Amino acid sequence: MLWIALHLPLLSLESFAATLPPELRQMPLALVEARQIAQANASAQALGVKPGCKRATALGLAPRLVTAPADPLRDAQALQAVLHACLAFTPAVTVLPPSQALLEVQASLRYFGSLEPLLQRLGSALAPLGHAMQFASAPTAQGAALLSRMANVPAGLHCPDLRSLQTVLAAAPVELLGAGREHWEDLQGMGLRTIADLRRLPRAGLARRFGEALQGEIDRAFGERPDPRTWVSLTPTFEDRLELFASADTSEQVLHGAAVLLARLVAWLSAQHAFVRRFTLQLQHEARWRRSDTPPDTAIEIVLAAPSRDAAHLALLLRERLGRTQLVAPALELRLRADDIARAPPPNGELFPSALGEREGLTRLVERLQARLGRCQVQRLLRVHDHRPERSSALHEVDAGASPLLFGRPEAKRPGIDRHAQGTPITRPVWLIEPPQPLPDRRDQPLLDGMPLQLLSGPERIEAGWWDEGLAGRDYFIAKAPDDSLVWVYRLRLADLAPQARGWYLHGCFA
Amino acid sequence: MACMPLVTSPPHFPVTAPRPAAGVLLPGRLDAEALHPALWRGHQFGRCAEPALASGFPVLDAQLPGGGWPHRVLTELLLPHPGVGEMRLLAPSLAATLRSGRLVMLFDPPATLSAWALAQLGLDAEQMLVVDGRSKVLPEASSLWALEQALRSGHVGAVLAWLPPRLRAERLRRLQLAAQAHDGPAFMLREMAARQLPTAAPLRLELQPAGADRLALHLLKRRGPPLAAPLRLALPPVLSAAARAKVAQLASVPTAQPLCAAAFVDLS
Repeated sequence: MLWIALHLPLLSLESFAATLPPELRQMPLALVEARQIAQANASAQALGVKPGCKRATALGLAPRLVTAPADPLRDAQALQAVLHACLAFTPAVTVLPPSQALLEVQASLRYFGSLEPLLQRLGSALAPLGHAMQFASAPTAQGAALLSRMANVPAGLHCPDLRSLQTVLAAAPVELLGAGREHWEDLQGMGLRTIADLRRLPRAGLARRFGEALQGEIDRAFGERPDPRTWVSLTPTFEDRLELFASADTSEQVLHGAAVLLARLVAWLSAQHAFVRRFTLQLQHEARWRRSDTPPDTAIEIVLAAPSRDAAHLALLLRERLGRTQLVAPALELRLRADDIARAPPPNGELFPSALGEREGLTRLVERLQARLGRCQVQRLLRVHDHRPERSSALHEVDAGASPLLFGRPEAKRPGIDRHAQGTPITRPVWLIEPPQPLPDRRDQPLLDGMPLQLLSGPERIEAGWWDEGLAGRDYFIAKAPDDSLVWVYRLRLADLAPQARGWYLHGCFA
Repeated sequence: MACMPLVTSPPHFPVTAPRPAAGVLLPGRLDAEALHPALWRGHQFGRCAEPALASGFPVLDAQLPGGGWPHRVLTELLLPHPGVGEMRLLAPSLAATLRSGRLVMLFDPPATLSAWALAQLGLDAEQMLVVDGRSKVLPEASSLWALEQALRSGHVGAVLAWLPPRLRAERLRRLQLAAQAHDGPAFMLREMAARQLPTAAPLRLELQPAGADRLALHLLKRRGPPLAAPLRLALPPVLSAAARAKVAQLASVPTAQPLCAAAFVDLS
């Protein structure tokens, strides 16, 4: 067995910092527990704020200190995301509260090559969650957990076999032991500094004085007692919430909070090698000033054309949608929910640009344009079989995901396209004027801008639509405008049917 | 530097290989082309590393640096109004783009498009995307944003955009920067009044109808020597031979006088 242990020494501070707007994240921060500072970040410690000092003292030292109560639930949510990210590497992941994750990776080693590339991949998978981390690997779970607390080096502590683990652990200080923490001063007073000192004592006496837990922890760390664990399992749907420290007034602030949730969503997705199809961001608003009614929650649903697991892409779509959404009130809490996922093989990485990459890029481009402009503003022009020019083309909104055929079909030859391109005259104008523009006439000759049009070709009679409302009876002519451009005009035929709508009309320009 | 007579060779085409004896610094004369691929002499065409897309009109190709519509830069077309023959001018190159399986995107077309007319021009309308950004609250910003995204993505085969009138120069410069990622021609269709304003696009043409089914092209700006006389192109015909004969016959007859605006005087 080979275990990797992750220790997140600053988990509580980081989970608190995630709820802050970005400009506050670099400020002196501290967590308060029972009116005492429990944890302080680097810039607070530089001002002299130390864990253990009173809150009032800390505020005297650093007046701009941002303090908040420690919240075990918030920490557990952040740790949950780390566990999800770990599940992408091995199904055997277990949690050691409050801030440790253990992975059994013996079976995954062959797939990843060896421990080193695995650790590298693990590090980059956890990077978006933004936690400071300490790594260790050892043949026993408890041993790895102890080592990770000890290892304050970026490369981590790695003991490949039990013998080296036992040597390292024997020299480790007793304060590493979680179960011995409450007895730590007693142990110091008894002159017991290392774990080796503890192990030299008689077992029965040690257990009687400090409890069975301490003895058990040491035994499991040294591999002398079986160590069964329960594995972390995935929830079928993703649901997470983030209570913002300061209410978000602008969509930019909402986005910063949402980015934290999106990173967790991506971790959850990568745990099951899935891609999200749709997700919902729900904003809970604060009550309006002197009004009893709280505005209803705003729900922003993002539907993706192609399932994705790319946090940057998801954030981009959310940004475009939030840019269009008006916030009725400042947001206090964000909730992200996703249950529509697609399981698919991971996309192939490609070195050179290819048709597949281009199609994917186009799908994303269409998605982005639709997110900002609205779905119905990105359209395809379809030919309709109708003689009336105004009904012979139709614009349909593009469904980028459902019609992958749209892009990149070199072989798709449509009947009628190439045949028309071979020298037959062009009979329809590209630009249609909707609705047709009535033209004045003089001596039965239509005028455009006060100048007579020269009719060059025609008439071409279009008479259709007796079966629906759009009855048309027109004689079309191609005419030359005074500036030599060609226009398409018609004269109404059925003047008796619509006496008020007789005369000449401009219906198109040949471009 | 001694004053040396410049070699007065006609602009040769395509200017891909340097001229004979280039690459060697001749004594007393600095060979500009050998220094950097972006340099050219005033009487030559600019060289471009990118292949250009043939326009389908050999007369025009001969006058365009690189031998066609350039990739990765904006091409500005100035029109007096929509409907002077711009689509017939661009159709062969757009059809070639579609045939190679790439996408053509149209931004803010000025009027309703007729799919059958595009089919007659050899363009499959269903493979093109029409993006309309004008219905938003800030129409100009939305349109330009969408256009910039399309250019920047680099996955679109060709872009046709009808730019809003009175566009500021820095907006156009921004588009020109975005177009560097765009592997294909990018046509910006603008109003004629923009002629007086400077442009970031390295190629600028003015389109004027010159008789039925004919187009006069003024090359206002290109990487190369200025072209004094406009090019006259015969577009794919709309008119039949009989109708063209009618035009010629009408042209010989003196045209009708324009209507004079009547002046009404209130006599009461």
